[in-house]
Amino acid sequence: MGRSAVNRKVYLIAALLIVLAGALINFKVLRGGQSLSPEVTRHLWRVKIIANITGKGEHARVRLTLPKNNAHQKIYNEHFENDEMVFYVRTQVKSGNRIGTWRAEILDGSKSLQYTFSAQLRRIQYEIPENLTLPENPEKAYPPEMKQWLDPSKFIQSKDLLIQDHLKAIIGHDKNVAQDIRKIFNFVHGDIRYQTEKKSKDAKETLLNLEANCGGKARLFAALAQAAGIPTRLVGGMIMTPSIKTITHVWVESYIGGKWIPFDVVNNYFAYMPNHYVELYRGDYPLFKHVGLLKFDYYFVITKERIPPLDNPWSLYVLPIHFQKMIKVLLLIPLGAVIVALFRTIVGIPTFGTFAPVLLALAFREVSLGVGLLFLAMVVAIGCAFRNLLDWLKILVIPRLSIVVTLVIMVVLASLVLFYQIGQQRVLYVTLFPMIIITWTIERFSVLQIEDGTRAAIQSAVGTAIVATAAYFVMGIRTVRIYLFAFPELLLVIMAVLLILGRYTGIRFSELYRFREFYNISGRKKL
Amino acid sequence: MIQFLRTFYQAGLLGMNRRNGNYTLVRNPRKLYPFVDDKLKTKELLIANGIASPELYFTIERNSELNNLSRLNMFKDFVIKPARGAAGRGIFVIVDKVGDYWKKASGELVSMEDIEYHVTNIIAGLYSLGGVSDRAFVEYRVQSHEVFLPVTFQGVPDIRMILYRGVPVMSMLRLPTKESGGRANLHQGAVGAGVDMLDGVTLGGVYHDQLIEHHPDTNVSIRGIKIPFWPELLEAAAKIYDVFKLGYVGVDFVIDQELGPLILELNARPGLNIQLANRTGLLPRLNAIDRWGGLVENLAWEKRMEISRKVIKL
Repeated sequence: MGRSAVNRKVYLIAALLIVLAGALINFKVLRGGQSLSPEVTRHLWRVKIIANITGKGEHARVRLTLPKNNAHQKIYNEHFENDEMVFYVRTQVKSGNRIGTWRAEILDGSKSLQYTFSAQLRRIQYEIPENLTLPENPEKAYPPEMKQWLDPSKFIQSKDLLIQDHLKAIIGHDKNVAQDIRKIFNFVHGDIRYQTEKKSKDAKETLLNLEANCGGKARLFAALAQAAGIPTRLVGGMIMTPSIKTITHVWVESYIGGKWIPFDVVNNYFAYMPNHYVELYRGDYPLFKHVGLLKFDYYFVITKERIPPLDNPWSLYVLPIHFQKMIKVLLLIPLGAVIVALFRTIVGIPTFGTFAPVLLALAFREVSLGVGLLFLAMVVAIGCAFRNLLDWLKILVIPRLSIVVTLVIMVVLASLVLFYQIGQQRVLYVTLFPMIIITWTIERFSVLQIEDGTRAAIQSAVGTAIVATAAYFVMGIRTVRIYLFAFPELLLVIMAVLLILGRYTGIRFSELYRFREFYNISGRKKL
Repeated sequence: MIQFLRTFYQAGLLGMNRRNGNYTLVRNPRKLYPFVDDKLKTKELLIANGIASPELYFTIERNSELNNLSRLNMFKDFVIKPARGAAGRGIFVIVDKVGDYWKKASGELVSMEDIEYHVTNIIAGLYSLGGVSDRAFVEYRVQSHEVFLPVTFQGVPDIRMILYRGVPVMSMLRLPTKESGGRANLHQGAVGAGVDMLDGVTLGGVYHDQLIEHHPDTNVSIRGIKIPFWPELLEAAAKIYDVFKLGYVGVDFVIDQELGPLILELNARPGLNIQLANRTGLLPRLNAIDRWGGLVENLAWEKRMEISRKVIKL
């Protein structure tokens, strides 16, 4: 097989891979959302929740309730930026709310936390059964988990006499659920003035002042409905309009005829869920909770979304959001490998193999570039320092490498204690993974040092640092990360690029230097 | 920069990517590599085909065979090599026996214990490609031909010949220096002197990436040295293709004071600095052979020698 035949095959395969990737991506974008209809596309929204926080140098935690899928909304394309804080998602047992938590053992300085999601919304009109009557003994009439939505709470004083008396005044002796809920709704909607400036108030205060914001009105509705024996809870969410804002909205849901039915006493939605509401949490909770912060503020950026949710079961978005971080790291490895291949075959920079610069770049992303490079330099310095000693003692190869690794660990431990003593406590929170990667480079360094000498080993170490830094910057491009995650089919394109690189037989940049003397020779020949 | 690239193109320089992509990967079948990567296998094949190489005294494959080293007491001088060592690493040259000690080429005295440690390291894979465990062997120490003595610092010079599809295309004389520690590998600091393929007379040389005319240690001119047995070397190179069947290979010869030309080893990834030593690129010659038509490698060695004489004028 001649080399042009080989090249032709390689280019053909590369072209096929690119076409395949294009087709898959196209299919995903255009055909991915099978539930697509004009009505649906009009109700796609993208919400970015941004919290800017400043720590006070101690343990800090920020909790945000995250939206969930339900009959009314489908949440997709979730992303989070943890800005070096730990991020995880849990579901609260009692309320069923999904809570995202950012955590840092020690937080000083400012961070910007971000959570982004897209939502496909649907309007729903509910029917309230006409012949239901209020239960005599509400505690027994509902499943036990409804108890929490019947019992009074600090701000929803449903057992309070004032509330109870007022309920009687509103519904009289009427026992029909449909009519009673309508009466309560009309009272809270019509007789309580909506006042956005007021701080969120409890049910009793709202009743006394006859004015409140959405929270106060919702709590009064909940208190009255609970007093009547209908399990009712607050629902927190956002109203979608293209804007940047800080306000959330609160409405209620009542458990009627075995179903949760929504009511918004501010905007007059009776048993109706409009298609511009996004539900974030259930129950009387705040959207954000935080501890250990000096400063905290947040805002939302709401825009129209154009891409519908992918119903593709093979999309990476179907994975739990906290698991997605690991996937994103995995996706960066082939990207890093391309950078290494470019540097080695086109520029001609020597490195410790192919994988080491990629892993180092990942480690740098965890510990920051400066710390990573410093650490690498330290590890290499130790390798050089102990070389002669181990030569002199005539130690066999494998134990010898192990001794160097042990020495590196000892120096790392010593420097950690040192940093702690001089007040740089943050160093202690460097995670295990980057530590291991950087420490491991010592083996590659020592082997090269034994085989090709210290000079070649240092050259490769510098080359590795350069290539790892380049990979670090490419991996840092946010758009690249998001596209790779949205379309892992791009890995096929990466393969195509690698295939073409694999048949690149041109000169390396470093060879221009290596063979520089030729320049003089051919110059002489011409003369 | 552009002009630089053009110079490269005009000189027909072979770069690392092209050597790998178009020559070694295409012309050297993977399954034949072990016969050149393992010097003991090379030796077996050479012996089986009656081709002269330094005499093999004995091998040590395991640590349990270390007591075989006592046989060294019978020899005044010898060389210990790792079978899979690359770039001349792990080679131990003993030139003399002094009482209970041996004298290395560098003049250093070593004990049996030092030799044992070295052999243990060889077996552990310290010098092998990829660090896999290895075998050590002891062989005849070549005495350099006197022609080369003025331009040699310790060690033995060798003659590297590049063979493409069985046709000798370029050659250089590799001279050890103080820096290379007696080894004839260019990237360890040995000097390479280009050779006129027609008569075996050396041209100027290369030291690292620098063009030179004199040996850096002895300061003797490296130009105009006539390599003894030159026609025999060319013939042996052309013939060796039929034994190893590697399409792009470097053959390393040494010329012993008493035994004449011996084949030391073959290299399936020969270096590129030979082009600097000869002040000319390899590509015009390689392309000319590819243009010859038909399967050049299947021609008789006499015919390939003829082709060689034509392409080396390019």
